[in-house]
Amino acid sequence: MNPESFRGWSMKLVIWSFLFPLLVLTGGQAELAEESLPSEYQLKAAYLFNFAKFVEWPPEAFPEPTAPFTIGILGEDPFDEDLERTVKGKAVAGRRLVIRHVKALAELKSCHIVFISRSESRKTGRWREIFKALGAACALTVSEADGFVEAGGMINFVTEGTRVRFQINDPAARRAGLKISSKLLNLAKKEEP
Amino acid sequence: MKPIPLNRGRRKSRWLTAGLSSASLSLAALTPIAQPDLTEVPIEALVQMQITTVARKAEKLSQSPAAVSVITQDDIRRSGATSIPEALRLAPGLDVARLDSSDWAISARGFNDVFANKLLVLQDGRSIYTPLFSGVFWDVQGAMMEDIDRIEVIRGPGAALWGANAVNGVINIISKSAKETQGTLITAGGGTEERGFAGIRYGDKLGDHAFFRVYGTYFNRDDSALADGQDANDSWQLGRWGFRVDWDVSDQNLLTLQGDAYRGAINQVFGAFDTNAPGFTRTDHDEFDPRGGNVLGRWTHTVSADSDLRLQLYYDRTERDTSIFKEKRDTFDADFQHRFPLGERQDLVWGTGFRLTSDKVGNTPTVSLNPDSRTTDLFSAFLQDEINLVPERLRFTAGSKLEHNDYTGWEIQPSGRVLWTPQDRHTLWASVSRAVRTPSRAEDDIILTSAVPTGLPFPFPPVAVATIYGNRQFDSEKLLAYEIGYRVQPHPKLSFDLAAFYNDYDDLRSLEQGPSPTQPAAPGVIPIHPENKLYGETYGAEAAATFEVTRWWRLQPAYTYLQMQLHKRPGSTDTTSELDEGKSPHHQFSLRSAMDLPHDLSLEGTVRYVDSLPALGIGSYLELNVRLGWRPTKNLELAIVGQNLLDSRHPEFSPSFINTQRTEVERGVYGKLSWKF
Repeated sequence: MNPESFRGWSMKLVIWSFLFPLLVLTGGQAELAEESLPSEYQLKAAYLFNFAKFVEWPPEAFPEPTAPFTIGILGEDPFDEDLERTVKGKAVAGRRLVIRHVKALAELKSCHIVFISRSESRKTGRWREIFKALGAACALTVSEADGFVEAGGMINFVTEGTRVRFQINDPAARRAGLKISSKLLNLAKKEEP
Repeated sequence: MKPIPLNRGRRKSRWLTAGLSSASLSLAALTPIAQPDLTEVPIEALVQMQITTVARKAEKLSQSPAAVSVITQDDIRRSGATSIPEALRLAPGLDVARLDSSDWAISARGFNDVFANKLLVLQDGRSIYTPLFSGVFWDVQGAMMEDIDRIEVIRGPGAALWGANAVNGVINIISKSAKETQGTLITAGGGTEERGFAGIRYGDKLGDHAFFRVYGTYFNRDDSALADGQDANDSWQLGRWGFRVDWDVSDQNLLTLQGDAYRGAINQVFGAFDTNAPGFTRTDHDEFDPRGGNVLGRWTHTVSADSDLRLQLYYDRTERDTSIFKEKRDTFDADFQHRFPLGERQDLVWGTGFRLTSDKVGNTPTVSLNPDSRTTDLFSAFLQDEINLVPERLRFTAGSKLEHNDYTGWEIQPSGRVLWTPQDRHTLWASVSRAVRTPSRAEDDIILTSAVPTGLPFPFPPVAVATIYGNRQFDSEKLLAYEIGYRVQPHPKLSFDLAAFYNDYDDLRSLEQGPSPTQPAAPGVIPIHPENKLYGETYGAEAAATFEVTRWWRLQPAYTYLQMQLHKRPGSTDTTSELDEGKSPHHQFSLRSAMDLPHDLSLEGTVRYVDSLPALGIGSYLELNVRLGWRPTKNLELAIVGQNLLDSRHPEFSPSFINTQRTEVERGVYGKLSWKF
């Protein structure tokens, strides 16, 4: 290919690389909707909803029979609005789901699921402070950092390439009075030999 | 020099506008794509579900009172960059120009040169700039690109924390911990310019709390081209291998030990000074084997969430043996840092450092240093206090570095910064800082000789011999910098980062005629020596945006504007240094597009425009890189990458001081396979 025709060809490539998404967006939207992949945190939001479904909390975890089910986010919220959108209007075991952005560790005890964001996990020693603040509260601790379940956390998200899996520390959950269903336990990533 | 058609820049910028307007068109056409309700999906299916990686959140930078950007591993992979300099092109505000196959000129906010000396570059806490000329030998730097976690780029002075040489910017290359690189990774590929490359890394556990990795890489890069298309005989091969161990001794103590070694084979054509050669210049087709290595240990002790101690030691050796210059250098460095809160609202960091560097130079008639061996040391201490005046809203940071070096004695480099967050998605910052660039070994001690044609008729000699002599009275270059910045996220999918600066430089290096006050001139030569008789101002602005058009498509435009004004002091006999104004582009523009497509495909494209460099006779250019990746399984990825697609070849920079050829960057295509297991 001579340089001039190559230049013409590469110009077309530039134009197409910008036009192509435009065509897809305007022309092929219905098709694409099926193909489009969720983001990491949309998927994690769906997982959190499922954890609420497949874990059993003792009755004393709820101050009254109609009390809502609270998911607390500790640290910088990585979900943007995906978690709110996911649980909006949803209920688990007859309880309304609410999201709470936890500012002080003392608020943790009123949460049923505590999602500890990466921003918290970067501070060494922070997990221990969190677990101490939780004490014997019936809260499922979930994070997304290496070593979380080894340090005493209950569920940890692990991203494997383009998939999101999770690890479970069942003894820690049982100590807090939580019963994790066998379905969830079976799907969890097993300890590597 | 290749003539540059006058209309070239204009014609290309029309295409650029076409590309831009199609992007803004699609903005108008943008409607939210319906997402299936994932709560209805059975959990067994969630485990198998793939996620898009385009929209992955970057580290939060909005809380930094400086012009900072981060190049992530994902950015590097998507760009198809095969070297650290090529990856640095992804940072807004950096000026990266390729000189030949193995050399780059890299700077921020002006003063770019092959021997650019106002940028500090660190790799995992180890300084990789050489005190020889206060710049970086880019031809021996590198890493297994997949093991880089991120590259942090700070534009503007970072001297209060990092110390001398952090005048116009700091580049910090940070690799992944051994824990994050478990398993085996094999990469291999090749193409027209990237003739062949391969890498292998293996990571595993050492007991319950320790992890390690070992790696080896090799590449062979083709010659660049001369202006007439001939091979420039500057091919570049390099092998590098290394290891890293991370040991969580306890919850509070982390030990890291890492090391690398490299050996290269670089072809280069030098014009060497030789009184026996016609015109006193001999052409050397040299092949030299640079080699070196380093070992680094770091202990991190965590006292609490807000307090830690860090002690780091490293040893580094480099050897370079070209036909015109030979150098061996050993560096030993110790660095201590302590961070702790003071009361409710203050965060203090302080530290001390010591560095010893020792060289042994093999002198040639072209380049020599007098004395041929020198050992210098550097003591430094710094203190920085971050005060939260209004929690979450207003923060003031004050700090200073104090250091003692063997060239100029004591240097003080203070800085004050304020960060204001009036609303959650708006951040404003401003700073005033002082920084110095201390003299290099070359400025003190060099003897650099070249033959200059006189153009005079017989009986005058056809060539004159000019020699630059080092000057031990050469002082530090000084900078007073004023910066402001604004970051805003008007929409969750759209963010802007703007920074502007005014830099006031004094005592910049000038090249004066006449003998050096501290080195005797040889008889019959025209002596030249460095002094501090130049001053100047630079100002400019950098704007960058990230736009997540959809979950699977991200656009990142960036624009950099720069003005440099250099002036001679009265009495200066310098005739060349003011021309440095024309070695850094006034305008740079780039647009990156990253897409995750169906069928496990991803498509990335980058267009970049660089303004002309009148001092070097280099015209403006527009270039395009494209990468198409296919990841059929999570362990395997195939990619095809096209680099510099818009021209068969184009020049980006010219040599200075050392007589090498001016070469041009050629269009290249390569394929790559990455396999993880």
